[in-house]
Amino acid sequence: MHEGAKGVAEGVRKGIIFSIVTVFSLAMLTPYVWMLLLSFKHQAEINKANTFLPDVWTLRNYIKVFETVPMVHWFMNSVMVAVSATTIVLFTSTLVGFIFAKYKFRGKNIIFWFILATMMVPPQTTMVPSFLLIDRLGLYDKLPSLVIPGMVGGFGIFLCRQFIEDIPDSLCEAALIDGAKDFYIYWHVIIPLIRPAIGALTIFTFLIYWNEYMLPLLYLNNPLNMTLSLAISFFSTQRTTDVGAIMAVATLVMLPVTIVFIAFQKQFIKSIAMTGVK
Amino acid sequence: MKNNRFVAIVLVPALTLLTLFVIIPIMGSFFFSLFDYNPLRNQNHFLGLGNYARLLQDSTYIKSFQNTLIFVFVTVAINIALTLVLGQFISGVKRRWLRNLFLVAIFLPCVAPVANSAVVWSRSMYPTKGGLINVLLMALDITPVNWVGSPLMLMPALIIFTIWVDIGYNTVLFTAGIDGIPKDFYEAADIDGAGHIIRFFKITLPLLGRTFSFVTAMTIISHFQMFAQFEIMARDGGPGKAGQVLTTYIYYSGFKAKDMGYASAISVTLFLLILAVTLVQQRLNRVDWGY
Repeated sequence: MHEGAKGVAEGVRKGIIFSIVTVFSLAMLTPYVWMLLLSFKHQAEINKANTFLPDVWTLRNYIKVFETVPMVHWFMNSVMVAVSATTIVLFTSTLVGFIFAKYKFRGKNIIFWFILATMMVPPQTTMVPSFLLIDRLGLYDKLPSLVIPGMVGGFGIFLCRQFIEDIPDSLCEAALIDGAKDFYIYWHVIIPLIRPAIGALTIFTFLIYWNEYMLPLLYLNNPLNMTLSLAISFFSTQRTTDVGAIMAVATLVMLPVTIVFIAFQKQFIKSIAMTGVK
Repeated sequence: MKNNRFVAIVLVPALTLLTLFVIIPIMGSFFFSLFDYNPLRNQNHFLGLGNYARLLQDSTYIKSFQNTLIFVFVTVAINIALTLVLGQFISGVKRRWLRNLFLVAIFLPCVAPVANSAVVWSRSMYPTKGGLINVLLMALDITPVNWVGSPLMLMPALIIFTIWVDIGYNTVLFTAGIDGIPKDFYEAADIDGAGHIIRFFKITLPLLGRTFSFVTAMTIISHFQMFAQFEIMARDGGPGKAGQVLTTYIYYSGFKAKDMGYASAISVTLFLLILAVTLVQQRLNRVDWGY
């Protein structure tokens, strides 16, 4: 009898928790649903603000966006920055991580400490000198200004070192005896064994570069050079009254990330758990 | 292994880049903070600590400093409390696909550019006329709130937005952390007749230990650095500078007012603030929480 009551109480508790989480998850999505709905409404209907679903569905906002602003160009700018930066960061992080995990050399600890210390410098605290440096290097208003400063990063090196240290030394030594060169060991022994770390670092780095707002704001000037993050904010200040068009741009910015995220959701969530907990 | 040539070939360029793009800029912030530096002028006078003396007299700086602290501590406190509960709840959902669905919904704002979400909120959620939140409030017969247009509500609006945009990370981390706690602890507590709330405070929280302190510290540090939502929702600090924080004040002083020496002095104070939090966190992390 007692057990049965307890089972019912447990069931009710589970039901309540389940409902709370469901409502909460739906609430999290609401701003995006609203954005999507507004992007299909006529401006007159948005101004009246008395409907939830559009009375008349229209593609005018999207047509206007593609006719008046270089949406595809902005998208390609973001792709170029995020892909090149991620590729370079993966290469340097794994290679430097390999050096620290498997090699003996003088000053190793102090150099590693130095690399970790660079992680404690947030870019927000170096806006002025970084800008002057970028300008001096002739990178102002050029996309490489977003890629070059971050080509080597403490976080990636730290993560890769952790993972490479777990690979038994005997594997590297066996390759060495077989006459393999250092870079060959890195490429053919180490890299295939740290796939999970590489996956996590790819997602992590790509997100940072894809979403970055402050550095494009500081380093870019010509609207044609903008990345998506900056472009949406630029567009919304240019067309303050055209909410439908702003929401159309916002939807177009959301679309690719949402598709990629849904397709690789398991890897995304696993990577975040891994980079955080490890 | 040993091969000094290979080590040097890799490390020399890597360390050069780190020095050029991290160490020199932070030293630059300290250096420029001693000058009345404006890039458009020929003469830039040495001020010593003059810029720092000016900070103490500048009401906008003091306001930005207070806003930053209020924003960080309120947002992080709510964020951590909320994500702990969500982590506990989601960890209890047994069906894999359902659990993934929840995490996907909660994590989506973390994947999208913050700037994009800030534009969406300021143009479609917060406006007094037609903003969804106010439409819903009016449906409940509550007077609409002027979220981003009033000095009183701007900071709450920024806090609500930031919680929404950022809880995904911590929810995932806490869900994973709670999943990792051995189940026998809960079974033992169950036999002892401990309720869910007691179990949460006596088992979950202490055993999350490392994850908890790590997540809290990382969240605090990342919130000190937030920029995009402030620049977009509170242009130039917003009404009454109610949405001005240190990061945006650095930006406006250095790049709008072209007062780069002064902006560098603000940067130095923000750097020291974040450094202090980092050092405290590392001290606390030495406490052994293991089980």
